[in-house]
Amino acid sequence: MNKLLSVFLLLALSFVANADGTGHLNVRTVVQKEQVTVNESGEAETALVAADTVVPGERVVYTITFQNISDEPAENVVITNPISGELNYVEGSAFGPGADIQFSIDGGQTFASRDALTVTEDGITRPAGADDFTHVRWVMQQELAAGAQGLARFAAVLE
Amino acid sequence: MNTAVQRLVPAVTRARTFACACALLALSTTAGAAGTPVGTVIQNTATIDFDLAGTPITLQSNTTSITVVERVDVAVTLQSPQVVVAANDSNRALLFRVTNTGNGTETFALAIESVLAGDDFDPVPAALSIYFDTDASGDFNIGDQAYTAGSNDPNLAADESVDVFLVNDIPGTVVNGDIGFSQLTATSLTGIGAPGTEYAGLGDGGVDAVIGTTGGESSDTGEYLVSDVAISVVKAQVVNDQFGGNQPIPGATITYTITMEVTSAGTATGSVLSDAIPTYSSYVPNSITLDGALLSDAIDADAGELDTTGTPSVVVRLGDLTQTDGVKTVVFEVTID
Repeated sequence: MNKLLSVFLLLALSFVANADGTGHLNVRTVVQKEQVTVNESGEAETALVAADTVVPGERVVYTITFQNISDEPAENVVITNPISGELNYVEGSAFGPGADIQFSIDGGQTFASRDALTVTEDGITRPAGADDFTHVRWVMQQELAAGAQGLARFAAVLE
Repeated sequence: MNTAVQRLVPAVTRARTFACACALLALSTTAGAAGTPVGTVIQNTATIDFDLAGTPITLQSNTTSITVVERVDVAVTLQSPQVVVAANDSNRALLFRVTNTGNGTETFALAIESVLAGDDFDPVPAALSIYFDTDASGDFNIGDQAYTAGSNDPNLAADESVDVFLVNDIPGTVVNGDIGFSQLTATSLTGIGAPGTEYAGLGDGGVDAVIGTTGGESSDTGEYLVSDVAISVVKAQVVNDQFGGNQPIPGATITYTITMEVTSAGTATGSVLSDAIPTYSSYVPNSITLDGALLSDAIDADAGELDTTGTPSVVVRLGDLTQTDGVKTVVFEVTID
């Protein structure tokens, strides 16, 4: 791509950012659920579809996408998402390229890696379980260059 | 197109204050065993923090919203132990519990089936064969209301249950040791189907209903055991008061003597005598005897004990009894409080 076009694109993106006043990053979240369908060959296929409605026991997937639409690199990017009390985090489901994934069990006050969190109840300390997590966050290990995009995702089961 | 070189920043997490990282609940209700209630709305907003040209910025994403719709599930569980019956018995009841294990309010149809494979005889459903345990006694009796399909189908909230009797007559052709099955089935009136089947708009408040793992239908089977062994049990008491008389006054001792005997052919298998200590009286420690031999109060290897797990009771295991065993005599004492 030639340089002139790049500059033009960057200007266009900056203009969008200024117009909607989002502070030079776009961040979107969607919630989906798995839908299993059987294809013509009789094989089960799993697809993510919009989750407007869910029933207890069903798994939902939250996907947060973000893009740096400024002309500066964004540094120290951290995405934080609450895990509602009705939802139980699905072990191992948190995903984010280039991010260190951390969890909170105290309403988002402190964060640590999944294995470092313990819960003490009635004097007994145990590893934190899936229903103890109140928040998950993704700490980007590198800056987000101008125009670059990122993705953060996790799954949870409705109680 | 981008000529900026990505550079590593220290993998050290900075402490930050998050403007709003809280889950918002439009309708807050506690999730019970049956799951999050119908109508609960779960909203989610992600927060992103970053530095741009040295300035810290916090942004919020859009807010997603999911609505919890109705999951249709039901569980039928047998509550009765095996019911011992005799040939030609009528109105013998098995107790079941029907529980709405979905997360919304649901109405269920009930059905009895007594012609089942795997047993020795078919119990015969009584003219009215399904009853509610209206008086919550656990025993089938005159106060219990009959079920009529389509007229008083049980309507249960999430996690709610109702106790139901199946009532059968026992044919005259059965012999000792025969077993007969009878089955209760509860079926959701919203619909049944493979898990995941949707019934648009048929859930609580017009939301969709989705069939859960039970398929919207559940059954359980109870057993009748034919045992025509006739047993005679006689309980006698002698009062001795502390003044040398026989008045039942506080402080007096009551000696209970229970005699038990098989009076017909057949074997009373695993016979257990259990007698509760009367209210406002106290068991006299180490007073249980069986045929004159002392049995300790502790739960141990001997044939009897004082069972204090619920209402204190004297329990004596007599084993398999036949007519040739003759009279078994259990004695114990209490004092009147």
